[in-house]
Amino acid sequence: MAAGVAAWLPFARAAAIGWMPVASAPMPPPPRDKKRGQDGLIILNVSGTRFQTWRNTLERYPDTLLGSTERDFFFHEETNEYFFDRDPDIFRHILNFYRTGKLHYPRHECISAYDEELAFFGIIPEIIGDCCYEEYKDRRRENAERIQDDEENDNNNDLVMPDLSFRESMWRAFENPHTSTMALVFYYVTGFFIAVSVMANVVETVPCGISLNRAKELSCGERYALAFFCLDTACVMIFTVEYLLRLIAAPSRYKFVKSVMSIIDVVAIMPYYIGLVMTDNEDVSGAFVTLRVFRVFRIFKFSRHSAGLRILGYTLKSCASELGFLLFSLTMAIIIFATVMFYAEKGSSASKFTSIPAAFWYTIVTMTTLGYGDMVPKTIMGKIFGSICSLSGVLVIALPVPVIVSNFSRIYHQSQRAEKRRAQKKTRLARIRAAKSGGANAYLQYKRNGMLVDMEEEASKEAGQALVCKANPTFETQHHHLLHCLEKTTNHEFVDEQTYETSCMEVSLAKPSMSRSSSMSSSPHGLSSCCTRRNKRKSFNVPNSNMAGGRRGSIQELSTIQIRERPLSNSRSSLNAKFEETVPLNSEEPSYITAAVISMPTPPVTTPEGVDLASSHDFLQSNIVRVSAL
Amino acid sequence: MSSCRKRCKREILKFAQYLFRVITGTLNPDSIEDELELSAVRHRPEALEQLEAQTRFSRKELQILYRGFKNECPSGVVNEDTFKEIYAQFFPQGDASTYAHFLFNAFDTDHNGSVSFEDFVMGLSILLRGSVQEKLNWAFNLYDINKDGYITKEEMLDIIKSIYDMMGKCTYPILKEETPRQHVEIFFQKMDKNRDGVVTIDEFIDCCQNDENIMRSMQLFENVI
Repeated sequence: MAAGVAAWLPFARAAAIGWMPVASAPMPPPPRDKKRGQDGLIILNVSGTRFQTWRNTLERYPDTLLGSTERDFFFHEETNEYFFDRDPDIFRHILNFYRTGKLHYPRHECISAYDEELAFFGIIPEIIGDCCYEEYKDRRRENAERIQDDEENDNNNDLVMPDLSFRESMWRAFENPHTSTMALVFYYVTGFFIAVSVMANVVETVPCGISLNRAKELSCGERYALAFFCLDTACVMIFTVEYLLRLIAAPSRYKFVKSVMSIIDVVAIMPYYIGLVMTDNEDVSGAFVTLRVFRVFRIFKFSRHSAGLRILGYTLKSCASELGFLLFSLTMAIIIFATVMFYAEKGSSASKFTSIPAAFWYTIVTMTTLGYGDMVPKTIMGKIFGSICSLSGVLVIALPVPVIVSNFSRIYHQSQRAEKRRAQKKTRLARIRAAKSGGANAYLQYKRNGMLVDMEEEASKEAGQALVCKANPTFETQHHHLLHCLEKTTNHEFVDEQTYETSCMEVSLAKPSMSRSSSMSSSPHGLSSCCTRRNKRKSFNVPNSNMAGGRRGSIQELSTIQIRERPLSNSRSSLNAKFEETVPLNSEEPSYITAAVISMPTPPVTTPEGVDLASSHDFLQSNIVRVSAL
Repeated sequence: MSSCRKRCKREILKFAQYLFRVITGTLNPDSIEDELELSAVRHRPEALEQLEAQTRFSRKELQILYRGFKNECPSGVVNEDTFKEIYAQFFPQGDASTYAHFLFNAFDTDHNGSVSFEDFVMGLSILLRGSVQEKLNWAFNLYDINKDGYITKEEMLDIIKSIYDMMGKCTYPILKEETPRQHVEIFFQKMDKNRDGVVTIDEFIDCCQNDENIMRSMQLFENVI
């Protein structure tokens, strides 16, 4: 609870007078104000800088150093002040926490110094206010990473790692090539072969001289077919071996197979094997030639060797929506201008703008200011629109490009921060929930211990024994008294979640036994909504009891009647069968009844007196018939 | 007819101006939306002596009260949302907003939507230092939502429901739908002497003065400050 709100507790207690006339039970006695008029100034001397504050301010947080008796250890008799040999600059923030209830983190302070001070004064960092919490967490993580990086570097420099299995060391060699010389050799060899393979692909297609048999230029690939084939085989063998080794060494094979790099590896080597398998059939070799295109994907294998490529790939992936939007707007503009050009040029003879899709090419070439000149408008209107097209092309293309470039860095950082914030949001919600339940739990705890100890306290006050309970500050006891008054007003007690749920169960369990008694005076219990969920689990072993009079509209009621119904309806086997089919849940017990019960609305409880037994019976019966006709 | 023509002329003029601006490319001047700064609502309370005279608090008590008040509301007034927030912190298990709303209306005697320190301290003076009559008066004022001098069953039901809302869900015994209504019935049986369906101030005060429990509980918070 915020400390500032503590000042409003007297107001809340005074406002409790509003409950008095409607209270169902007499109020508990107020707590005795143990300390009165003790609100004096305390001097805190932190390394020479004197801070002063009210005693009550410090005692708002009794589980910290300053708020508890721990500060007495630092009391300096000669100067009648509390002396702390700590940093006064950081102490300022700690004292502000007591004053305002919010802990702030100064950005210019070192995070570890701040953490040390917090630990010294017994304040948990989780209560840092929302304004500074993100910064605090970021700095903390940065620091932790830095320390961790240092440790890792130290570790990596040790060449001796005796405890890794062969598989793990292999994986480590693959991932961090600089760990051992073998890994480095492997790294460079694969890099070399990737380069060789890509170069071979390129050189294959260069014209290499004229064959004497045919008057046609031969490409190098056709001329030195065997050499290229051997080179290709060697490269593919190396790649295959590398892939298999990585597959064996991977700690999670499934994850490895799913990863992008392994897919690239597979795509790079597949064409070769497919080519081996396929015969020299004329039809198929056309498709085979197309497959060879995929060999160019080997160049992507370089991304294992270059961090820059990886970052580029990642940023492209994260900018995908921006790029997509750019493409979309371009497409819109292209369609618009192509249509306009087509209709503008429709009149002219021998126009190249034969259809709108044909005009797409002109529009793209014009908008990107390429201007090949293979398609040119001839009419005046066409030229006017053509010029508008090229001008707008400059705008449409030139404007978003710098934006996208700046988006790269922004989106990259933003996605990182969004992840952080999402993770922090979870912890922050958990904090708020914990604080709330902490407040409630404190009261329940007080009820269990405090109530009893209060009596003892009065009894032993004469004996002058210092009780442990006295450590409870005035504020807490007063707050608990307030909650106690509320309980008395409404004649209900606060309980925690578990007790509440068990009592729910008890209520629902008590139903069958209570249904036997036909006492109308007993206050009827409509089942609260939570209990209907609980009911699913119960097995209804209620015998064929007579329907309790006066039970109005409880769902339990219906279920008892239905149970009675069931044995009678054996003849309607078709309906039974249908019943069973509609139930997907709880197959261990015949709880189809429950399923039907839940789907039914509770008959409204309106008349407080005199339920017509017969009519309600009919009503309920009719309901059952409807249910069984499901 | 002439007004129509005048209007047309004005429109054409505006359009011509707009076209001119578009062609020559003048930039729009910065819109003057944000000129009105959020005028900070500040409120300074009356002097300490005056408050001392008007209320039954001592000087020291007023000092303590004001320090706490100003700490939570530096601007000097509380609006309803802040009030609800503050009150909700004392009842973490339930929903205190409805009751806080009624309380706010009871404290905001001049109905201007905010509770200043004077309102606050006047209310507290009645609650903590007032006579029993005054306290009962205040309670009646709280229950009478529309301030017409009568408490009807609906008003009482709203109040009682808001009190039960503060308890929250996890209670023992479990809160049922008709519990507030029953509570209202009990209250009316006790208070409504002439059975006319409403409770007037006299009935209320009479009945409370005859009830020992209520009398005793009124003295409960004497020493809160």
